[in-house]
Amino acid sequence: MSAEADPTQRVAIGISFGNSYSSIAFTSAEGKAEVIANEDGDRQIPSILSYVGGEELHAGQAKGQLVRNTKNTVAYFRDFLGQDFKSIDPTPCHQSAHPIQHESTIGFKIQDSAEETENTVTVSEITTRHLKRLRISASDYLGKNVNAAVITVPTNFADAQKDALNKAAKEAGLEVLQFISEPVAAVLAYDARPEAKLADKVVVVADLGGIRSDIAVIASRGGIYTVLATHHDYEVSGSVLDQALMDHFAKEFIKKHKSAGDPRENDRSLAKLKLECEAVKKALSIGTSANFSVESLANGVDFQATINRSRYEILASKNFAAFARLVTHAVEKANLDPLDVSEIILGGGNSHTPKVASAVRNLFPESTIVLAPSTSSTAINPSELSVRGAAIQASLIQEFELEDIEQSTHPAVTVTPHTAKAVGILLISGDEGTAVFHTIVDAETPLPVRRTAIIATPREGGNVLLKLAEGLRHIKITKPEPRVREPSSDDEDDESEEEEEEVREKTWKVDAVLSEAALKGVKKGAKIEVQINIGHDLTVNAIFREVGGKGGVRGILQGPKVTQNGSA
Amino acid sequence: MAAVQISLPLPVLPEGWSGEKDFKPIGHLSHATDRNIEPVGPHFLAHARRKRHKRTFSEDDR
Ligand SMILES: Nc1ncnc2c1ncn2[C@@H]1O[C@H](COP(=O)(O)OP(=O)(O)OP(=O)(O)O)[C@@H](O)[C@H]1O
Ligand SMILES: [Mg+2]
Repeated sequence: MSAEADPTQRVAIGISFGNSYSSIAFTSAEGKAEVIANEDGDRQIPSILSYVGGEELHAGQAKGQLVRNTKNTVAYFRDFLGQDFKSIDPTPCHQSAHPIQHESTIGFKIQDSAEETENTVTVSEITTRHLKRLRISASDYLGKNVNAAVITVPTNFADAQKDALNKAAKEAGLEVLQFISEPVAAVLAYDARPEAKLADKVVVVADLGGIRSDIAVIASRGGIYTVLATHHDYEVSGSVLDQALMDHFAKEFIKKHKSAGDPRENDRSLAKLKLECEAVKKALSIGTSANFSVESLANGVDFQATINRSRYEILASKNFAAFARLVTHAVEKANLDPLDVSEIILGGGNSHTPKVASAVRNLFPESTIVLAPSTSSTAINPSELSVRGAAIQASLIQEFELEDIEQSTHPAVTVTPHTAKAVGILLISGDEGTAVFHTIVDAETPLPVRRTAIIATPREGGNVLLKLAEGLRHIKITKPEPRVREPSSDDEDDESEEEEEEVREKTWKVDAVLSEAALKGVKKGAKIEVQINIGHDLTVNAIFREVGGKGGVRGILQGPKVTQNGSA
Repeated sequence: MAAVQISLPLPVLPEGWSGEKDFKPIGHLSHATDRNIEPVGPHFLAHARRKRHKRTFSEDDR
């Protein structure tokens, strides 16, 4: 069946489609995103298909087949869509059907029918079958035929990959209304909450998924998002966390059952080990200890063990630290300092792990809010961030003609001039050297923009100076006073001295003065409202007035001269 | 968006300060950087609407 193109006939959902897991969500009539469980009751739906005697198993049921039916089980395929065989890394598929080159695309040789013959099924076809199952789960739940979706993709998903995904979705009966990027969907999921307040802030979305990690640094300006930098890594991932546990339990097993051999050296044992270790890892996100239990782990020998969380944290400490470093690296890529980051949204399933959040927490100042289950009681489930954002976007655009959606997502609309420097006002003093600069319009704010500030006045009121300037952020570093060493025999004292760290603070320096204005005869205790409008041509329109007072001052600043090459 | 609240006071106007209609332009903004905004969320839709209909914020408010 083909997707319904008439907007009034659309039933649209949000889909997050990962290499490891997918999720589906819809937005209720009250405007709340709700994640849908599939027939098995799963909201994190494994992106896996398996074929047994011609029957198609999906998701959790297919995942169980990784042990016995490895060759006919297809997993970790999303990133292969629209790719050239030579450019993919097949490593994640070591323990499932291997990707092969098939004409100009990628396929899997599997026995997917009742017949004994193997068929080559392309990655597009696998994706279609997977999306069809998601579509049916959503339709069954909603009692309506779902025919459209907003789908999330990584920020580095190329056009060819999107095209391939678009086609595969169409084959599955889904009209893709829009692809939105995963980290932006995560920010939207947070911003769509009723208690959320609009602000100008830098948000970092750090996603630790199953086989990759993705970081994005996003300027969020009054609810409009600009991606400033991204970083992707395929070494640091959930699977290396699983591997740390696999190595641990394999060694424990060998210690206890010397003759039974290493479970990592036999495919079936390895698959059992991996499945159980992922479950143990998940259990350690909530519990401080977890049980490992596999029947016939190797050579018919059962194995049971327990592990506590702190042990796991030591086993995988390098990986947690490596993930945290990816986050700071992305901030550097955006030419920002950790002090510039207002919030870090931790996403991806592994962000349930408390140590992931604390490792990131440790590399950022206290002023940075870390949003993860273990650091914030109001955090959104990190596994559901993308899909919630997708469902919200779907509800926003589902009544639009596809053509209108395409037009608004066109560079003619999205490419926008952004302020290069912060625009603000001088406080306390009118002298650039001694004044305190306070930002009103941040750097990296898309134009046009309008911002208002309410400012206190000198104690006695009277005549005040309103001096607008561009400011540059400056990191002020204060080294601790070298302490006079008192002769002491106590060793602990020495240690605490070494721990004293320099103090880093975010301050501002006036870069260039833009204008001055005067408000005269201001009442005692009055407040002044400053409204700044900046047009896309960098014209500044400023209004200064006493709150509740009459009159006020208006000023206009022309934009900078257009340079020879025409860039404004 | 809610107004920025600033609790530090404005400076006192220097004696003898003058400006036409109490305003004195001095400089220009630095050149802007072209970047791609994400076509996502309700505030982007409002931005796109203003852009397509060439409307200002205050026209949009009405
Ligand atoms: N509660 C949990 N505690 C710890 N880890 C978890 C938890 N739930 C899921 N994970 C892990 O999260 C990873 C899956 O993350 P996610 O659902 O974000 O996958 P994905 O987007 O498909 O990732 P990718 O595309 O990188 O494979 C897996 O490694 C899984 O073991
Ligand atoms: Mg993901």
